[in-house]
Amino acid sequence: MINQKKIMNLTFTCFLTLVAIFFLVRLAPGDPVERLLGPEATYEEIQNYRNDLGLNETVFLQFKTFFLKTLQGDLGKSLFKRKDVMVLLSKHFKPTLTIAFFTIFISSFFGVILGLISAIYKSKKPDHLLRLFSILALSFPIFSLGPILVYIFSVKLQAFPVSEWGDGGFKYLFLPVLTLVIPLSSVLSRFTRNKFLEEMKAPWIEVLKAKGLSSLSINLRVLKVCSPSLLNVIAIQLSVILAGTMITETIFDIPGMGSLLLEGIQNRDYPVVQGVILYSTLIYMIIYFLTDYIAQKCDPRISD
Amino acid sequence: MKVKSLKIKENGELLIGGLICSIFLLWSLGWYFYSTFINGSIQSPFVPKMNMKYELVLPLQENFLLGTDVYGRSLFEVISSGVSYSILISLTVSFFASVIGLIIGYFSISGNNSIKRLFDFLTNFVFILPSLLLAILLMSFSGQSLFGLILVLVLTGWPSYAKLARGETKRIMGLCYLEGAKSMGASRLRIMLKVIFPEILPVFVVNIILGLSGVIISEATLGFLGLGGSEYSWGVLLSMGKDVLLEGPHIVIISSLVLGLLIIGLNFFGDGLRDFLDPKS
Repeated sequence: MINQKKIMNLTFTCFLTLVAIFFLVRLAPGDPVERLLGPEATYEEIQNYRNDLGLNETVFLQFKTFFLKTLQGDLGKSLFKRKDVMVLLSKHFKPTLTIAFFTIFISSFFGVILGLISAIYKSKKPDHLLRLFSILALSFPIFSLGPILVYIFSVKLQAFPVSEWGDGGFKYLFLPVLTLVIPLSSVLSRFTRNKFLEEMKAPWIEVLKAKGLSSLSINLRVLKVCSPSLLNVIAIQLSVILAGTMITETIFDIPGMGSLLLEGIQNRDYPVVQGVILYSTLIYMIIYFLTDYIAQKCDPRISD
Repeated sequence: MKVKSLKIKENGELLIGGLICSIFLLWSLGWYFYSTFINGSIQSPFVPKMNMKYELVLPLQENFLLGTDVYGRSLFEVISSGVSYSILISLTVSFFASVIGLIIGYFSISGNNSIKRLFDFLTNFVFILPSLLLAILLMSFSGQSLFGLILVLVLTGWPSYAKLARGETKRIMGLCYLEGAKSMGASRLRIMLKVIFPEILPVFVVNIILGLSGVIISEATLGFLGLGGSEYSWGVLLSMGKDVLLEGPHIVIISSLVLGLLIIGLNFFGDGLRDFLDPKS
């Protein structure tokens, strides 16, 4: 059940995020206009430009315009590229979305399957092997895994191009997605294994066994019970994916949200930074609350 | 005591993890002493020297054990600085984050109503924000200093400790011996310090150790994106290594292996300690 309290909470959190982002960006040292116009610009030129951009008004007035415009979906113009932030975002959004989408689906698939294998063969060879693999995979952070994979696949085997996006086809997508899938599927398989084994100890399993159900159908039922917590873990991992895609974009030179954000930060391009952070935070929060809702639907025992 | 020592021997994870962690601790302490007392002073500690003559030397050549980096610095010296730097950062950050988390978590259960609600909301609000995104934002605008880095990592790191402390306090509040302490007239401060905190401590220590690797990775991620607090951060080294993957793959490979080993060690040590302290498993 979607209750009003949750929606209120979501709205309030989003509003606070908006406020936090706005003020953080403005408290930062460094002036975008001086940077944009270069050291030769005169005082008047700078002031005129600031007036044009509305940077000379009081911070609260600026916030009011920013807030009202954001509600209308207008995120302003990039100070450097002279383009609407919305246009920039939608252009850079596609690579990030593609990578995140494939990562989530592939790693959920492999994570759950490997976790199940691990749980069914508990304390036997496949289990030990998979656990060792997941420990190793989790010990190498994305930014060290990425270059190692590039070294193996692109430099030694020459199977994939080095750091290119091209048309975003399979051969450009493979390494970035693999870099993210390896740690994520390890987390999920570890979690699936533990959760599955925990549920298998529950008393209602005895009932299923007494009814004479095959072990396959028992396993499927247990998996269904585990699914809400699995969803929850995937939702929590979303923030890791979000940050992870940014790092992979830096490693593989992909023109996505991450590169847009870093570029914006370097240039003190307020509207772009605001836009990217706002966009990703909002998406992240909406998915977070959605999974919360789905989890409640799957297992009515979970409620606030 | 005999039973406990037997348990340690059976616990392979704890042994291996402990061994790896102590090696790293000794390494960083040794490097600290070497750079401040033997080959430098407290005012100007020894830093790896740049020498363009030895650019990107491969390991075991020209008297360099692990080769050199892009600036011709000995990779062993750079990694040593990185090890002591990241261990120092992770310990400091974990200490402050866990203390703040402990206090906020405790008072979000036992404070008065408005404090409860405020702390609860604060914890959930910061917890729900994508922490690395927040760290990137804060770091890029706070100027890249060591103090700023520690502050940012503490700010993004405390909510998980607060959640843990909250859950544990809630559990202990329901136990009988707390009622015993109350009925004997123990003050709230005494209950907090002598009853609840010692009970939380084992779980907390395990989580701090497991959290150390998270801090090391976050710090290195910021360094990788060019937002770190030191040029000896692992992230800086890896980001430099990825650009010269063709000429000098040893930078990426060696520093990844060392970093991976440290993280494996910390995770093993934490997991092993948890099994050791938890009599149920």
